[in-house]
Amino acid sequence: MKQSNQLNRREFLAAAGAAASIPYFIPSTVLAAPGRTGANERLIMAHVGVGGRGGRLFREMKKFRDTGAVKVAAVCDVDETRLAKAAKEAGADVAAYRDYRYILERRDIDAVVIGTPDHWHGVQTVHMAECDKHMYLEKPASCTIEEGKAMVAAVKENRVSVQVGSQGRSQPEAYLAHRYLVNGNIGHISRVDCFHYPSPEDNNPVPDSDPPPELDWDMWLGPLRWRPYNKRYCHGTFRWLLESGGGQIRDRGAHVMSCAMWWMGADGTGPVTVEATGTPPTKGLWDSAVLMEVTYTFKNPDWTLTWTQMPNEEIPPAEERTGKEPGGRIVRPGYGAIYRGDKGQFIHWGGDGGTWAEKKAREWVPPSGAKDVYKSPGHMEDWFKGIKTGAKTIMNIEAAVGAANLCILGNLSYILGRKLKWDQAKQEIVGDEQARRMMSRPQRHPYHL
Amino acid sequence: MSMNNLKKASLAAAATGVMVGTADAARRRRVDRLIGKIKDSSDKVRTEGWLSAGEVGAPAVEPLAKVMTDEDLEVARAAKRALWKIVRHTGRPRAAKEKRAVQTKLLELLGDGQPVSVRREVLWMLSEIGSFKSVKPIAGLLSNKQLREDARMALERIPGRGAVKALKAGLKAAPEDFKLNIAQSLRKRGTDVPGLACVKLVPTKKTNVKPAR
Repeated sequence: MKQSNQLNRREFLAAAGAAASIPYFIPSTVLAAPGRTGANERLIMAHVGVGGRGGRLFREMKKFRDTGAVKVAAVCDVDETRLAKAAKEAGADVAAYRDYRYILERRDIDAVVIGTPDHWHGVQTVHMAECDKHMYLEKPASCTIEEGKAMVAAVKENRVSVQVGSQGRSQPEAYLAHRYLVNGNIGHISRVDCFHYPSPEDNNPVPDSDPPPELDWDMWLGPLRWRPYNKRYCHGTFRWLLESGGGQIRDRGAHVMSCAMWWMGADGTGPVTVEATGTPPTKGLWDSAVLMEVTYTFKNPDWTLTWTQMPNEEIPPAEERTGKEPGGRIVRPGYGAIYRGDKGQFIHWGGDGGTWAEKKAREWVPPSGAKDVYKSPGHMEDWFKGIKTGAKTIMNIEAAVGAANLCILGNLSYILGRKLKWDQAKQEIVGDEQARRMMSRPQRHPYHL
Repeated sequence: MSMNNLKKASLAAAATGVMVGTADAARRRRVDRLIGKIKDSSDKVRTEGWLSAGEVGAPAVEPLAKVMTDEDLEVARAAKRALWKIVRHTGRPRAAKEKRAVQTKLLELLGDGQPVSVRREVLWMLSEIGSFKSVKPIAGLLSNKQLREDARMALERIPGRGAVKALKAGLKAAPEDFKLNIAQSLRKRGTDVPGLACVKLVPTKKTNVKPAR
């Protein structure tokens, strides 16, 4: 939500009496309807967070750039080594920034791909929305309940299109699974059991130290409370800390539970109770649960969703496949979900965002009159469509926050060691003062919602 | 009081004294056992130790704080996790008395005699379970350069008008380089802060990386 006494850099400089020469950018939206990019226009894009997963998204976007669908105008990272590499890969005249807020004031930039660590997602999404940028946001959407609410509100108020990177929903076999399930092939489904291999333990703990010179540690921490640098925080390992990542339940729960919510027709709903137990790591900096069991109880309609991080040997083995199936190959299919209906069961496997559906769903031929479901043209393509037509994306911000809330509540119950009650309509934990306080987390100045 | 009654009263007092003494001794033993496990060289034993800390409660707060700065990183980490376990356990519904006792012990750790790292952690613990009683001691740290940002955030999270009042007072007394921080918390708590613009969208960090040519 825009705050009336909020300054952007232009206003700040003007207020300070600075005689700065401000470049004027012609937005690509200028020829389109107000607030909407024209259907045939090339989208002007920026990438924030260009290492790790953000780097893979950047390389994926380059394919769209090469077809002329988009132009990449800026790259941004708090790690100068990663930034320099991306700037070089991006090519001539692509601006490089350490601070994403320079992108906020680039009025020529229509859309931003955010591939930063989870603890930045809420703040950056709200800021981008307030500056009218469409977003592709890496999952999971939010780290706290409060962030999720603020993100939904900002996106709605500023009418921007957001696609969250639970790309499993856009996979060809996700469509086949969805269609198979909604047509009652396993009957009424009353339980979905998600499975995943364990979160890793930090087997090489090291003491705190100075950050490396290429890293802006203050900017990496952003909204998190300050603490000394430790090389086990980053880059990709932020995922194994409850504060910045949250473990497998958040990293992969945002894929598996995203599909479960969609296929169960449960987007926009939430559980009434959440109860988690888990096994913590025995040493090191990382503190997310290694093994974990979470039970979510839904009412009206009544069903149960569980999340279990289990030893590798207990993971249901994936079907043998040729690699020619619609879902192609996926790396390490070590997670998924078992859908239990009153006429049978169905298994979905995943791996790094891929989605495999059991053979019976792939081979099912819909009879005449069967229900059809939405078939995504591809996760990025679905986002572009959202930007150009205003259509809701397949993993829109409301659905993504709903999936993230499941992960957040699971971790909160684990941390607190007790069952939580959730009021979906109010988006609040009920009857537990400490848990209610933990629905939000104070943010360090000036990196706040 | 008759001689008989006097004897009975004396016996009862002595029995109570013995019981209190026994309870104290039992508490001490539990704390000692916990600290022993936290300091153990085995990862497994330390983990068992911190996982069991919740029910030991307030008596373990100060002894654990001492171990939080142990030179063995894993021992220090286990002590910190044990203290958090106590905070999370004691914050459960219908445990007000336990929570008050833990809060009291935590407040004692905010003093200058404790290392900054411990005080910083304690501020965040109080942000989860602190009541109005925590407000004044936390507000006192708004003038401490090393702790003021954490103190500001802890006050932001503690419900009630007292925390807002303390933030307002803190804003008046704050040096220029900290006023915007407190303003951020006050806005979060629904208070207008005229004259202090929000700068959240203002970029400040320049890169040395040049675009490719």
